[in-house]
Formats: sequence, C-alpha cells, structure tokens
Amino acid sequence: MLLPKFDFHEPLTLPEACQMMSEFGRKARPLAGGTDLMINMKKKIVSPEHLISLSRIDELKAAQCSGNMLKIGSCVTVAELTESELVRKNCSALCTGAKALGSPLIRNLATIGGNIASARPAADLPPSLMAYNAKVVLKKSSGERLVLLDDFFKGPGLTELQADELLTEIQIETPPPYSGCGYINMGIRKAQDCNIVNVASFISLDAPDGLIKTARIIMGCVGPKHLRACSAETFLIGKKASEELFAQAGEAAMKDCSPIDDFRGSAEYKRAMVGVLTKRTLAMAYEEVRSEN
Amino acid sequence: MKKLISLTVNGKSYQIATEPNQTLADLLRYELGLFGTKKGCEMGDCGSCTVIMDGKPVNSCLVLAMQANRRSITTIEGLESEKGLHPLQQAFAEKGAIQCGFCSSGMILSAKHLLDKNPKPNEAEIRSAISGNLCRCTGYQKIVEAVKGVRG
Amino acid sequence: MSQYDVINSRATRIDSQDKATGRAVFIDDMKMPGMLYGAILQSPLAHAEILSIDTSAAKKLPGVKAAVTSQEAGLIKYGVSPARYDETIFCYDKVRHVGDNIAAVAATDLETAMAALSLIKVEYREMPAVFTVEEAMSDGAPILHEEYPRNICAEVHQEFGDVETAFKECDLIKTTSFVNKRQDAAFIEPQGCIADYDLSGTLTLYSSTQVPHYVQRTLAMVLKLPVGKVRVVKPYVGAGFGIKAAANHIELAACLLSMKTGRPVKMNFDREQVFLHGRARHQFFHTMTTGVKKDGTLMALKHECYLNGGAYSSFGIATVYYAGSLLGGPYRLPNMKYDGYRIYTNLPACGAQRGHGGVAARACWEQQLDMIAEELGMDPIDLRLKNMMVAGDVTCNDLNMSSLGMKECIEAVKEGSDWKNKKGRLPKGKGIGMACGFFVSGAGYPIYRSDTYHGTAVIKLTEDGGTALVYTASAEIGQGSDTAFAMIAAEALGIPLECVRLESGDTDFGVDLGAYSSRQTLMTGHAVKEAAESVKLQVLEVLSRELKIPVYDMDIKKGVIVFKKEKPDFSGLRTRYIKEHRGWTDNPAPEEDLSFREASRIAYLAKGSIVGTGKYKPPELGGKFKGATVGTSPAYGCSAQVVELSVDMETGQIAIEKMTDAHDCGRAINRTSVEGQMEGSVSMGIGEALYEEVKFDDKGRVINADLAEYKIPTALDMPHVETIIVESNEPNGPFGAKEVGEGAIMPTIPAILNAVYDAVGLRIFELPLTSERVWTAMKIRAKG
Repeated sequence: MLLPKFDFHEPLTLPEACQMMSEFGRKARPLAGGTDLMINMKKKIVSPEHLISLSRIDELKAAQCSGNMLKIGSCVTVAELTESELVRKNCSALCTGAKALGSPLIRNLATIGGNIASARPAADLPPSLMAYNAKVVLKKSSGERLVLLDDFFKGPGLTELQADELLTEIQIETPPPYSGCGYINMGIRKAQDCNIVNVASFISLDAPDGLIKTARIIMGCVGPKHLRACSAETFLIGKKASEELFAQAGEAAMKDCSPIDDFRGSAEYKRAMVGVLTKRTLAMAYEEVRSEN
Repeated sequence: MKKLISLTVNGKSYQIATEPNQTLADLLRYELGLFGTKKGCEMGDCGSCTVIMDGKPVNSCLVLAMQANRRSITTIEGLESEKGLHPLQQAFAEKGAIQCGFCSSGMILSAKHLLDKNPKPNEAEIRSAISGNLCRCTGYQKIVEAVKGVRG
Repeated sequence: MSQYDVINSRATRIDSQDKATGRAVFIDDMKMPGMLYGAILQSPLAHAEILSIDTSAAKKLPGVKAAVTSQEAGLIKYGVSPARYDETIFCYDKVRHVGDNIAAVAATDLETAMAALSLIKVEYREMPAVFTVEEAMSDGAPILHEEYPRNICAEVHQEFGDVETAFKECDLIKTTSFVNKRQDAAFIEPQGCIADYDLSGTLTLYSSTQVPHYVQRTLAMVLKLPVGKVRVVKPYVGAGFGIKAAANHIELAACLLSMKTGRPVKMNFDREQVFLHGRARHQFFHTMTTGVKKDGTLMALKHECYLNGGAYSSFGIATVYYAGSLLGGPYRLPNMKYDGYRIYTNLPACGAQRGHGGVAARACWEQQLDMIAEELGMDPIDLRLKNMMVAGDVTCNDLNMSSLGMKECIEAVKEGSDWKNKKGRLPKGKGIGMACGFFVSGAGYPIYRSDTYHGTAVIKLTEDGGTALVYTASAEIGQGSDTAFAMIAAEALGIPLECVRLESGDTDFGVDLGAYSSRQTLMTGHAVKEAAESVKLQVLEVLSRELKIPVYDMDIKKGVIVFKKEKPDFSGLRTRYIKEHRGWTDNPAPEEDLSFREASRIAYLAKGSIVGTGKYKPPELGGKFKGATVGTSPAYGCSAQVVELSVDMETGQIAIEKMTDAHDCGRAINRTSVEGQMEGSVSMGIGEALYEEVKFDDKGRVINADLAEYKIPTALDMPHVETIIVESNEPNGPFGAKEVGEGAIMPTIPAILNAVYDAVGLRIFELPLTSERVWTAMKIRAKG
C-alpha cells in the first residue's frame, strides 16, 4: 500500500514547528506517532502536502510534576505512560487506559497528544484525562492557550485546534486527597481492539469515608465525542459511596449518553454497557480512595 | 524528492536516499534487501513487519523511512551472531513455534524485547508482549512455550 | 519406546531455522531482472452492466507496458469444479460483486501501475443487487448467472434409509436452526505471484498457492498453453487454510501480462483485496431435526441447509455436499435426509476453509445432541458414547471408518478436564461443554473428474551415496508437510533425517493435488514411502548380488546395513569404496558396520543413478448415489474437545479459560506438528465462535476488510490448550497415519456453545457469540 506523495519536515524545536504550521496551515499535518495518520493516508482519506514530524522535539517528550501539576508533553508515547511512575501514582486510570490501547507495538509509537488530537470517540486516553479534568496547551507562533479537555473535542475527528496550532502539553492537577479514578474499556478481544464502550469515573470525598464531593464520569463511543454523564455526576454529589449508589449512578449515566447503532454494536447494548461500566469504574475509583487511606 | 538519511541497521551504518513517502518496512525490504521483515497488512494490525527501533519494537509499516534517520534498527537478520542463532530463534525452531513462518520474524523480535526488559516474564506477560503480533497457525501456545524455555 | 527410528518423534522441522532467521523466501521477497509490477482494477459496484472500458489513457502513461481487459484475456471460463466453471479472468458483460475484476496493468513500478489503474475509464449501468439468501431466491430477484434461475448455484437432495418412518419410532424429536457468519481465513501473508513467460515459450508462475497442480491446469486451460509449457512453483507460503486452493485472478492476470510484455510480472493482493477475493467459509443456515429413542439411540436426522455463496461457485458445490455428508459420522445414524442449496448473491465468492463445509453443520448438530441428552436426562458424553461408531463401521452414506479412535478421544478429554467433577457443578457464570467431530484424510476423488494419481514422488540418491533427495509437487504452506515427508522417507529408507534433503511445491517434480482436504500426509506420504522403499530395494538388490545374500536377509536401519543372519565379509566392497575416496578423511574404519553410504555408492557404480518413484491414488470409494464422492476418504481423523469458560453476567463477555483437546491422527509422524495443528485449529475455532464475521454495508462493500476490525484471536485471547494425541493405527495410511489439520476444528465451536449453556442456561443459535449476542439472550430470558 503506497502513501501519497508529500514533503517531510522534521523541526528540532517547538518555535520551528509552530513556524511551519503557520506557513503551511491546512496543507500540513503534524506527525506524532503516526498510528492513525499513516493509516488514513494509506487509505487516501487524507493526503496532506506537508508532514511535520514532532518526534525530534525534546520538550514535547517529557513528563514532569511541578507543584501540584502533572505536565505531560504531547509526544510522550503511550508505552511511556504505562511505565511512568509519576503517571501511575497520580493518575492510575490514565495508566490503565494506556495499557488498554492497541498493542505493545502501537503503544511504542502512539503518543498521548495524537490520541487526543485525532478525536476518535472510542479513544482510550481521553476518558480518564477528562475525568482528571485535564487541560491541553495549544500553541502557535503568536501565542498559546490553555483549553479544558471537556471543551477541546467538537465531534468525531473535530477539535478546537486551529490549522496553525499544535497540541503541545497535557496538564493535570494532582488529584485531591480522598479521591480515586477508574477506567474500563470494553471491546471484542483482549488486545488490538476498537472499543465498543469505554468509561472513566473520578470521585473525591470530603473526608476519609466521607461523602462524595466531586464526581466526573466520562463515556466513550456513545456520542460524537466523549460525553460527561452529567446527571449521574450530580446524583452522586453529597452521597455516601456504596455499591447500590454506584448502580443507580450507572442507570443515570445510561440516560446521559446518546449511542448509535453501528457495526460494532447496537445503541441499546452500548447504553446498557455504559450502565455496567459506570458502576464498575465508580467502584474502582472508590477502591482507590480506600486503598490510599 | 529523495532525501539522504543515515541509519544503523543490525549494527551496520547506511547512508541512503529515500522518498518521503517510503515506509521503513519498504526501505528495509526493497532497498536494503532485508526480506525477513514481512508485510502482512501494512496497517499496523498484524505485527509481521515488527522491527526494534532505538530499543522499542514497532510496526515498520507505520514508520516513515525518514523517521528512522539517525536511529538504530534491529531486524530479524540482526539476531544471529557468530555463535549462531539467537536462543529465541533456536527455541522457536525446536519447540514448534513456527508453522508458516510469516509472523515469526516479528514475533521473535517482540519476544526478544520482552526478555531484554524482563528476563523472567510470567505467561501473562509473555502473551501481552506478543499481543500485537498475530499468528493464525499456532494458536500461540508453542510460541509461549518457546519464550518460556528461554527465560532466565 | 517407539518402534520407529525417525517418525513418531518431535523432530525439529526442516524449514524452521530458515523461518526463524528471516532466510525463508516468500513470494514478495522475490525479484527478477526486468520485473514489472502489475495491479488489478476491481469493481466498486456489486451488480452492474459494463457499458464500456477505456484503457487508452492508462496505456499512454509513461512506464506502463500493458493494460489488459477481457478483450485480450478472452472468455474461457474456469473455476474449481468443471461442472460450474463460471469465472473469466476479467468480467466482460457485467460485474457481480464489489471487487469483481475488470482490467489489469503492468508497469515499471507499483506507483505507476496504481496511477494507470486510476486512468482506466469504466462505464457501468448499475443493477439491483441481492445480498442475502432470501433476497436472492425471492420472486423477480435479479439473476447473477442466467443459467441458474432463482440464483440456485447448486442443490443436493439425498436420503439414506427412511427418515419419516424412523421418526415414527422415536421417543424424542428435536428441531433446531443455526447460522454462522461469513469468515475470512486471515492468513498473515496475502496472496501474491510472479509470472515469467520466457523466450522459449515456457510460462513459470511463482505463487503463494496451496495447489500448484490445479493452478498449472487452470493456467494451461485458460491461457491455451500445453501443460508441459506451464510450470508452477510455490515458494514458502504464509498459510492458506483453503483460500489459496484454486487459481486466483492475479495469478491469471500476471501470466497474461507477462505473455503480453515478455517480462516477469509481479502482483500482490493488499489486505483489503484478500477480503474482496473472499473464498473463505460460507454463511450456512442449517435446520436439523433429530429423532432418538429414550435410551439415547440415534434414529434419524432430517437436515436442510442454505448457503450464501457469493457471486461465483469456487468450491461451493463441494461445500454444499460436505455440509450434509459430514454428519454421517461419527455416530451410528441409520437414517439421514439432506436438502442443501447454495445460492448466488452479489458478494465475493465463498469457498473452502479449514473443516470445509462441515464446521457450522457440526456446531448445529452437536449443540442439538446436548439438548437431546439433557431432555433424556443423560450426560452428553454418555449419549455420544452410546452412539459412537467403531473402526470398521460404515456410515449410512457409505463413508468407511477404517480406524476411529473417537471413544479414546472422549475418554481422554473426560479424564483430562476432570469432567465428572465439573459438569453441572460449576457456579453460575462458569461452564463446561464438550463436542466431537471428524474429517477426511484427503478427498477420495480429485476436483476434476480423473483417474490421475493424487500424488507422485521421486527419490534419488546422490552419487557419492548417503543423501536421499526427495522430490514431490506437494505444498508446504506452514503445516509441516515437508518435514513429515522427509521423516517418512528417512524411516522407510532406514536412514537418519539429516541424510534426507527435500524439494517440493514445483509442478516439474511430479503430480500432487496439493494442500487441501487434509490429504497430504496420507496421500503424498504413501507416494514418498513407496519411492523410499523402491530406493531401498534397489540398493539391497545390488548388495545381494555383490555379497550373495538374499535381499530378505538384509535391512537398512539408522543408516547402517543390517544383516539379519551371519555378518558377511564386506571388506571387498569397503576397499572399493575407500579407493574411490582417496584423500578423504571420513572413510570408514575396518571395524565399522557397512554403512548405507557405502552401499548406495556401490549401487550407483553398478546401476547408475538410483531413482525410486512412488505414487498414490485411493481405491474406488463411496456409494453410487449422486454426490457420493464428496465426503469419501481413505481414512478419517477425529477429535473430542472440552472447553471451560466463564460468562460475565452483566456484559455477556465470554472468557475461554481452558481447552482439553484429543485428536486421533492415526500414527503421529511428527508429534510436535500434530499438536501444532490441534492448537491452531482450536484458535481458529475460537475466533469463529466468538469474534469473526465479515460485514458488509447495504451496497455490498466489506466494512471490516482489515485485521483491526476482522478480529482473529490474539495471544491474550487464547487459553491454554491441553493437547492429547490419540493414535489409532490407520490401515490405509502410511505407517498408519491420517489427518489432523481440519478434524481438530470440528468440536471447538459446539463445545463452546455447550459450555455457554452450562454457564448461563441459554442456547444460542447464531455466531459469533459476541458479548452483545450473549447479553441480548440473557435479557430476553429475563423479560420472560
């Protein structure tokens, strides 16, 4: 399978990359891991005239914690996420999501930035990132802006990114005490799969064994973009965690999603699985709260 | 337009001109004649084109040759040494882990990376490490047994 | 210990080191001087009249050397069964499925060839299309092939015994229906080939094929060349599972393009084209009614089946017969009625895949037998054992079970899985299930009606003695046949495996029908054994004359001449041998036994090249009724499997936890290879049971034509398989050997269905058992 023709650029610094993005605009595509872009180009779904490879820009490849902020460069690979102690300790559900993505071979190429920017409603990383209330840094030559991931996705393949902008960093505030998060993805087989439904749930309590103070539940594959289960979240606030409560939240989440029938599954099944996975990820989140006390 | 890249393949340095739209898999096969790297799907699904790039196994059908500039690549041809076959190659041959052989190159490289990182993997870790390499012949069992036979 | 010196061992495969090091050459690893690259233009529409094809712009593109359509290719029809030759290299009047073949180009590189394809202009008039059996058979439906009204490609009506009368004597009659989904074999190497038409007028095709012989005949017939001018060579092949068991369009197109240009032409399918070519397992709609006595005695089976065949016949006539005939065993069944219909639809053609025709039928019936056992209050194993055939039994449709280790297989999996402590005793959500199955060890008759030998072999000794060169036209496609034949040759000749070199997969080496219907070990194996015995006899005859010892008082074992009586003085022979090897450092010492190497050198000096030939053709098999040939075989392999699994009661997800698998392969030639076939079969069965389905949109386009969305099991999806080899001694097999490659898939799907029932109490009659299908069934039950 042949790739269409294009010019290849490999900037070594971020300003250089931004300069190229502003020069080529819509004729260019940034190339990170390439696990999505190469396939879309081979299938001739996209044929950019310029590819701007980000893989030599060192500042996009670091993950660090400064203060209460975890900052992950957009070109950190998914494999690196699975191995990062920093990620595992602060955002275990992101680690779970990373481990669930594709296969070991794909994880060695795919990047966190690519998994976000490709905006596939079934992607493995956005649910937990949104559950952790992550923000993304969008940069261009003339400046940068910080966008809440909740506001970043616009639809399948559609995002807040402008033609001349690069997604450079993901920022996650260290979760508060008495908080936890869980992620489950459900597909057909155990590796190399596209999800049927995936859900991440985050909760924090006001005290050890206290009441639920915040809840964020993110559902994948059940809408044009990752969705918040708003009524389920509201339902949980101020209540005491229990299996029964989580089951009820799951039922509420089923009403928050808008799945469609497609070849991977019926809307009815996806909706039901949102219920099951919401319940189970909330239980995982609560388990994490308890295990840290 | 072709551009000159330099890369190290199996310990040997190459300088070679490549088109931007050539994949690493095609460069290895058709320019360098390293046909041990197979192409089964060209979409990153089957793993038969697995090579180790800068210490990490990747699908070389998803990597542009130009992205391999100044990087170090190990293909299946790079596993043999003056002492003969790599222990994994020997184990795959002896334990019946190879049937049609089309997935074997990639499978062995994924297994090698696992053992380099984790000399004593358990069965689940072995299965996970090769889960990006599809095999339709063996049902994986003899592959898993071959890797187990080599672990420390 | 084994009575054999070479076979029945775990010898390392002779190709495995080449494959482990990347040295093994597959088709796309080959390149020839001046080679062109071909590409094929395929229809975007499912059913359309072709109004015009214009290749003029493509031909003008620099680098393009030829562009061909049906105008150049002609309209000679071909296919698999001569009774249904319904394909031409390129379509001329209309296209019948998305991916149907229209034109091909050859150019100096692939990029140019692809660009040329985009310059070919085709005008279509789109016609209504039919995608399902119901649509295709409905009144007024568009017809794919004018000769076949109602789109019935083939139908079968058979009755053995008297089913209706038998039902009257039954205490329980059970009817169920079952449907599987269209499969893709998902071998990892896509089809590819290089055609080379040389200046002497000889056409050589190198191809990733299972059947060099059938491809040779098809090329000769369609391209109008004498068979002697067509050579087909198979390099290493990245598996086939039945799909590569007939000539394909790129093989024919590449040959045509090479003949037009006088240059070698390479063509490959990409992964999507593998799906568009199809030829894998059909979708089957089975309805079966089985009658039994209260003690479990099987009395009668009434069976109706519809196959969604796709646009062409391919193997389909055999498939529709197999779907019925393979239920004749392994249980004693005195009455059986079968009505089968294979229907043309506007989808890629289906063909043969591992377990040809029998897999879905077996799944349907073995699940039904479990239901019957439950209603009778019998353990499903006891029901099966009660009705089991034994060696020597003949089925109602005249299949002769010349050996049958079925009972031993059942006992082995029962024991190996601890069945009696688990069946009916596992907690909710966990289940155990079992099933049986059997398959032919080679089709009793060739695909074209003929008295041909099914396999020939030539063994030649090297003139220095000591090495036997084995030549067959058989097809090593990953199953290990080369190694099996080297082992058979070594065993029969009495020499170590290292002293055998083997070449195969080339039509210049003889006739061999190839790798399909699990035929090679038995059939090619016979030919190789006969050739080896001939060589051995020739060597011993020379020795007999030289040493004045009768041939029957000598033997060859482990590379040494065995004198059964008094050891003669062979120093004269040794002196002659050593004289011929002056200066050599490895000449035998005086006290050593007379070696095969010395003996074969002496034989060469006496007779010239020592060449032995062998051949095999089954005796006349089967009954006299229409279709009696399909299902016949000189021998049948059989298996039993037990599966243990768990079902997530909330999501419907199934996790296979353990498989226990016993297979009777007759005498195992290579024990490691036998296990490999068993484990591979189980994994293909698990894939079909749980995940796999080729899906189409409403225009007949495949929507999951890749290995991401067509989901075969990964290493993480496969459980541990406990493989148990059961060895009966098959009287019709070489050294008692028979099949393992296909029989071993038969029980997998029904064992899973039965285990799901044990886990959640639900019978599911449609594959695959996706989490959604299981969940839906649980939900429907909950609603009552």
